[in-house]
Amino acid sequence: MILKLNTDIAAGCFGLLFCALLWFPQSDLGRLSIIFPRAILVITTLIAIALLIKGLFFSPEERQVEITGSPRRLLVVMAGFFIWWLLIDILGFAVTSFIAIYLLCWYLARVQGPVSTGQLLRWLPIISVIVGSFYLTFRHLLNVRLPAGLLF
Amino acid sequence: MEMLLQALASLMTFESVITVLVGVSAGLLIGSMPGLTATMALAVLLPFTFSMEALQGLIALGAVYMGSIYGGAFTAILINTPGTPSSIATTFDGYPMARQGKAFEALTAATLASVVGGLVGVAFLLILAPPLARLAVAFGPAEMFWVAMLGLTLVASLSSGSLLKGMLGGCIGMLLSTIGVSPVGGETRFTFGFPPLQGGIELIVALIGLFVIPELLTMAAEGKGALPREGDFGKREASIRQVARTVFGKPVNLVRSCLIGQIIAIIPGAGGNVTSLVAYNEARRFSKDPESFGKGNVEGIVASESSNNVMVAGSMIPLLTLGIPGAPPDAIILGVLLLHGLRPGLDLFTETGVLTNGFILSMGLAALMLLPVGLLGARLIHRIVIRTPYYFMVPCIAMVTILGTFSLRNSLLDVAIMLTLGCAGYFLRLIGIYAAPIVLGLILGGIAEQGYVQTMLAAVTDPFPWLRLLSNTLSKVLAAMVLLGVATALVPIWLQRSGRLDKASPDKRGEP
Amino acid sequence: MAGRRITTAGLLTRRQQTHNSINGARHETSHHDAGRRCLIFFHDRYGGECPSRLSDSSIDYVIPFDPGGESDVTARFQEPILEDILDVSVNVVHRPGGGGAVAWSEFQNSAEPDGYEIIGVNIPHIIGQPIQRSDAGFDTDDWEIITFFHSTPNALIVPADSPFETLDDLVEYARDNPETVTLGGSGTYSANHLDMLRLEQEADVELTYIPFTGTGPLPGALEGGHVTGVFNYTMLGVQMDDSVRVLAVASEERVPALPDVPTFQEEGYDIVGGAYRGVAAPAGTPDEIVEVLADAFAEANERITDEQEPLGFVMEYISGDEIDDVIDMLAEAYGPILEEAE
Repeated sequence: MILKLNTDIAAGCFGLLFCALLWFPQSDLGRLSIIFPRAILVITTLIAIALLIKGLFFSPEERQVEITGSPRRLLVVMAGFFIWWLLIDILGFAVTSFIAIYLLCWYLARVQGPVSTGQLLRWLPIISVIVGSFYLTFRHLLNVRLPAGLLF
Repeated sequence: MEMLLQALASLMTFESVITVLVGVSAGLLIGSMPGLTATMALAVLLPFTFSMEALQGLIALGAVYMGSIYGGAFTAILINTPGTPSSIATTFDGYPMARQGKAFEALTAATLASVVGGLVGVAFLLILAPPLARLAVAFGPAEMFWVAMLGLTLVASLSSGSLLKGMLGGCIGMLLSTIGVSPVGGETRFTFGFPPLQGGIELIVALIGLFVIPELLTMAAEGKGALPREGDFGKREASIRQVARTVFGKPVNLVRSCLIGQIIAIIPGAGGNVTSLVAYNEARRFSKDPESFGKGNVEGIVASESSNNVMVAGSMIPLLTLGIPGAPPDAIILGVLLLHGLRPGLDLFTETGVLTNGFILSMGLAALMLLPVGLLGARLIHRIVIRTPYYFMVPCIAMVTILGTFSLRNSLLDVAIMLTLGCAGYFLRLIGIYAAPIVLGLILGGIAEQGYVQTMLAAVTDPFPWLRLLSNTLSKVLAAMVLLGVATALVPIWLQRSGRLDKASPDKRGEP
Repeated sequence: MAGRRITTAGLLTRRQQTHNSINGARHETSHHDAGRRCLIFFHDRYGGECPSRLSDSSIDYVIPFDPGGESDVTARFQEPILEDILDVSVNVVHRPGGGGAVAWSEFQNSAEPDGYEIIGVNIPHIIGQPIQRSDAGFDTDDWEIITFFHSTPNALIVPADSPFETLDDLVEYARDNPETVTLGGSGTYSANHLDMLRLEQEADVELTYIPFTGTGPLPGALEGGHVTGVFNYTMLGVQMDDSVRVLAVASEERVPALPDVPTFQEEGYDIVGGAYRGVAAPAGTPDEIVEVLADAFAEANERITDEQEPLGFVMEYISGDEIDDVIDMLAEAYGPILEEAE
């Protein structure tokens, strides 16, 4: 998908927004703590403004960006990652990861043609082993307190 | 000399060799996983070393350290993800090579460079430890500020395309580094009243997010893996010899990168995170064909990987002689030394010289061991990455990144930060703000801030406090290097720009 | 909304998530149950009989700092001994960030008071941070401190080639040249910083304190002459024996590892302070469990004395009511300085 977008203006806007986000919470800090961030904030703002000026007046080219592949798949997978993270808290790491990998596999494999039931069944043990071995390694060998929800 | 021979003898036991072999393999595995760093590998290993003798324990730690720094190159080349921060620069040329089907060549070059780097580091440590240690302590707050500035000049070469956007990325990285407790002043900044943010944004979290997630999203959107299915597997045997010829055929690059690696390794606090970037930048600056960098030039990989493996033994110099950990993993080695009642200092080289030299030599052995283990591992991992269908790769890599990020500080918030930065990183990449300058800003922001504010504090009674930044020879030299770096980076761009503008203007006139 | 979501996510631990998600009422009782079971367990350990159903539990010992530091190294010493005494496995878990505050706020918000979750605590961090930060996320006394097992007194250290032979030399020079004496130290409003501020008050001089991140960079700063001296812990003085001179230590008696160095009190300044390291259990942990753990740490302390004392640590056995005394004493000493800094 090709979007019509002046990347200079977009980058400039992003820089300004980012600075605005950090500009306000700096009020009650001591001199030693704020001297450096404030200097960088000012520099960032200047660069962002320079980008805006360049984008508005000097760069006739670069007016498009291309998202390769399917933007819908991009957004679905992106959302999938965040749902994965949310569910880790509720269902625990092992269960969530199993479900997430299974669903993502199914969703991504459909690109190359329909997924047969046989294939889905064959994935079951493979994904269990992958998730299980990582879970056991981290939980017991590396002593990481992985989030455990309802089951593990 | 006698001590050295004694140390060598104590090293040549079956037990020691096996320890090194296992250590290197384990380190390689851990280092190649995004999120599992050398520091973490050593922390995990620590309890096991208690049951060992002092030398055996140190040998194991040295081997794991060496292996994990090298292991970072694997994922850097195969999935554009630096397994450890020290292999960021390896991605610049390693990944393009992998995409051209030359993954095995890239991996072999990385292995050879790492072996050379590791050995050079050990040689420096054995021969030049005391003078280099004196150089190490010369770096005070003002000098550290200039080191950070010198690092920031890399932005110019890291920003492919627009310099302004690269600078914007660097600044955003530096701003991200200021979240959390301020290094001087101790106040919490930009936490938005949210206690867990006091911990700030961990470098590794940002690194994984900005490098891995956009890559996964791209693979998912395109519906295919990033690497071509057929590598040059058939020609493998010949390939190793060919690669060796390319790597050793340009000794200047190798020597330069090793020297850079060694000098940066002894600067406490800068550590291995920047060594590979600096070495890469210099390789490109002195290359006859700088344009080919970033598009799959073996020299870039050689520079990055040789310099970061010099760092392993190189950063032991300030550690063993002065007790200053040069890089984060060294802090753990310092802990082990203290546990065994060994105090850093010259005694370490005289009274307990056999032990110390044994440890140093074992790192050399570990570096040599990288060759078989690495080449074998490279073949194996390469095959796995190429054979695995992309729809398995994407969720499985995602799981490893989530696991790695979480286990860094046992924090789900870090996972959220990683995912957010990753998704933002995808869109930022679209508009031309790349991950490398942001990460560079994040690494150097803290160093620059601390150096600057500490210098200003110390100069509180001076009439012109900022003059303290240039108060001695070393700081003046560094400042001059910064100026030189800026000039050599900007002038070519400026020349090119003015050339292009001349060309572009008639076109524009002809357009409507 | 997003912010709240992250809070709960970051702060909940495994066990509490389970309880919360079942229901609130179960949560209350399970606290009790866990406490009682653990109590039986620990007592039986001492009595010699072990209920098998709990033998797979393990104690999580959270270290709120990076691996390799003093807290970590000490915990590694203690780990095998605690396992031996309590017959339960002990996991050292790192949760660094914010000078300890990240781990402490999470711990106070979510750890289960059953004796299976303990966390390393440091004075003055736990006193200073809540006063100084509006969003530290934890309180100085919202937990059951089990024991403080050792302390590292502050020490004023100068390079061996420094013109200052004694503390008086340095103070006199500082009196004539206000603010020119630069003293490095670990962190802002840390034990180092606070006692340096006390020295300023006691001696009526003006010094310049330069905070570094941790103890790591200080040897370099000393060797390279980037500071006049450092105000750090005794350990550094011991470690850098050959190349530095320790002018005074901030303990009540001379430190065993540095027998020739006078205390600040001997030199006429009433400064006793340093970092105290200990462990805490969540508020509401039954007293019996806290006692069992305190005994275990005391025993561990005795067994590691020979390794720790030569490094410059001072072993402490502060438990029970003494804990409040120590905290009160130091809070009184540091409180006014901190308030003033606000």
